Amino acid sequence: MNWKHARSGMVAGLLLCAATASALADDVVIKVWSRADRSGPLRAGNIVAAGDTLNKMLAAAGSEKRVKIELNETNAKGYDDDALDLLKAFAVDKGPDIFVLAHEWTGAFAEAGYAQNLEDHISKNPELYGDIIVPLWQSVSYKGARYGVPQDSEVRMYFLNNDKLRKLGKTDKEIAALPAKVDAGEFTAYDLCDLAGQAVQKGVVKYGILHRPNAGPDFQMLMESFGLVPYDKDAAKLQASKAALKDFFTWVKYCVDKKALSATNTSMSWDAIEQASFGKEEALVFFHGVWRVTDQTKAWNLKGKDDYQRKITWINAPAGKKGGKPTNLSHPIAYAVSAKSKNKELAAYIVALASQPIPNMRHSVTTNHTPINYGGQSMPEVVDKGWALVAATPMLKYASFMPNHPKIGQYNAVIFKGIQGVETGRLTAQAAADFVADELGNELGKDVVIKN
Amino acid sequence: MPDFARAQLRRQRINFALFLGPALVLLAVFFVAPVIIDVVLAFTDMGRTLAVGKFTLENFERMVTRDTRLLGALGITFIFVVTTLGVFNVTFALLLALVTTAVPQRLGAFFRAVWLLPRMSPSVVYALLWLWVVDPNERGLLNQIVVHVFDMPPIDLRNNHPLLVIILANGFIGASLGMLIFTSAIRSIPEHLFHAARVDGAGSLAIVRHVTLPALRWPISYMTIHQSLSLLVSFEYILLITGGGPFYDTTVFSLYAYRRAFESGEYAYGAALSLILVVIGVVAALALWRLMDMKRLLQPPRIEVH
Repeated sequence: MNWKHARSGMVAGLLLCAATASALADDVVIKVWSRADRSGPLRAGNIVAAGDTLNKMLAAAGSEKRVKIELNETNAKGYDDDALDLLKAFAVDKGPDIFVLAHEWTGAFAEAGYAQNLEDHISKNPELYGDIIVPLWQSVSYKGARYGVPQDSEVRMYFLNNDKLRKLGKTDKEIAALPAKVDAGEFTAYDLCDLAGQAVQKGVVKYGILHRPNAGPDFQMLMESFGLVPYDKDAAKLQASKAALKDFFTWVKYCVDKKALSATNTSMSWDAIEQASFGKEEALVFFHGVWRVTDQTKAWNLKGKDDYQRKITWINAPAGKKGGKPTNLSHPIAYAVSAKSKNKELAAYIVALASQPIPNMRHSVTTNHTPINYGGQSMPEVVDKGWALVAATPMLKYASFMPNHPKIGQYNAVIFKGIQGVETGRLTAQAAADFVADELGNELGKDVVIKN
Repeated sequence: MPDFARAQLRRQRINFALFLGPALVLLAVFFVAPVIIDVVLAFTDMGRTLAVGKFTLENFERMVTRDTRLLGALGITFIFVVTTLGVFNVTFALLLALVTTAVPQRLGAFFRAVWLLPRMSPSVVYALLWLWVVDPNERGLLNQIVVHVFDMPPIDLRNNHPLLVIILANGFIGASLGMLIFTSAIRSIPEHLFHAARVDGAGSLAIVRHVTLPALRWPISYMTIHQSLSLLVSFEYILLITGGGPFYDTTVFSLYAYRRAFESGEYAYGAALSLILVVIGVVAALALWRLMDMKRLLQPPRIEVH
């Protein structure tokens, strides 16, 4: 190559760089971090759509500026793992501007200085946030301030397979009466394991009850049935009572002995659990949340509410003792804005756009998560396609949230290990209670109070 | 100093940097630096946010006073390392080497290649195969045999004998390295010694006992030390096959440290646990070195046989 060619090449390159730079100068890049989740692709999708909406407004205003949403969908296996990865990303200054998180992590991100305090922004924009269901704000509040915006909410339940119950000799009338019996405290957690155990022993199903195979929020409602309250609000500390732990694990052991719980549950993959619960119908009871209605409807090709209710019955987590109260848990997912972002204000407005009733309703009806807006609940599409959400809402009467404590993820992981220990026959009820009490003290130190 | 001497010295320095430099950089970046970082981290309170608040001895205090899982993890590690090493990485590897060198050369090479296959496949694929082998359903490879050939109910090795599963999985893949080393050692034994033994009336077993094994003393010692250190810190297949479970049944020490660091986000505590592993490794290596008299291996030979 001669010098002339080289020089003209260099000039062309510089011009190209300059042109690209000037084109990019008007783009504001907003980075979004979201866990790739089959049960909610629109969590991130609505942020991208909000960017498009904003760009249309900018174009209409004759502005050259554009917002470019850069989406990073991670493959963490759960929200706890994802939060740990995100904390690491922030620590090395690679954090996003907007992130999706399970609400109980709000405290951890606020404490670390990564989640922006949105109190000011929310109170200055009532026309954008005024329709959000008030109690949901509690789930993203930490030390009296809001650090996030709820993205969805849900109801958790045991799904009972009616066909299998019929095979077990239950009449339609008995099946229909079950949810009310649970709510009245007549049908207890022990009764549920008797029923599920019977189904296994009679060969009607392979598994009595199938639950999630990893640590997660589900188990909190089961523990609450036995009086185990994980959080002391006044002391702002996590807590566990040895007596309640013993009661809870005595029940788990009872269910294992009755063959209602399987030793392999915690080593199964989600796919295997879904196949056993839906496709192959190998389980009498599946324990998860209302968004699973989408999978069930698909698996059994069910047409609408009546068809679904012929196949499946929902119950709250029954009380531990006769006459006790059932329990439920709502576990909102939330949006948060990075406190380290250079475009905090813009990012917050994008979150506001994504949280409006229409986009949020789309997430609700496609994935069966309850909407976050009062308006969303009455939209024709929710009433029509989201019948399950309307039907499940009364169950929220018994719902609590997870405590917004930075270490609740670790707390849940320890409880899960205890359950796994009992289910796989490694621990007795007493040993599991001791293990959990020890391990909580060991891992959480001063953040937990172990009571007798 | 005369000019040529100075030039020679410079040349020597350049050669040193050129030839040893890359290796030294490699050592510094991948071996020395991690140990230094680990030592420093072990004395901090680094948690999930990677921020260091203070320097402290709390991690070690926790290990000694509160961590009830630590001894269990050490015990499992001991069983795992000793069994895998004793049964597979040395004994079985030796057996493979003896058998594949006793049969015709091509056949031997074929069998060695078969035993090397797992090493060539990615660890995730190897682990997936094991998961299929021990699947508790009737579809699992092992259960197909158990159910159809022996007419027994399906067994669940992963839940009932998880330690056995990880020993087998690590052993079958680990035996191949020893097999290669021992094979080449057997090959280097002068042919005439075998002929002489035969002439003296020795049978095959006597030849193994009196000719082959004595020649393998150093390779066996080396493999024992190398593989025990390697097994002490490896948890790749365990993580993939059992995840350290059920419960804590297959959580070896290195996996335990990994868990604490990366799954609970307690990086400083994980570093402190790893430091203990480094100490155990060094002590074990020195003890084995002494026990097997490895010093003699490195001495110049007194007699040279041509």
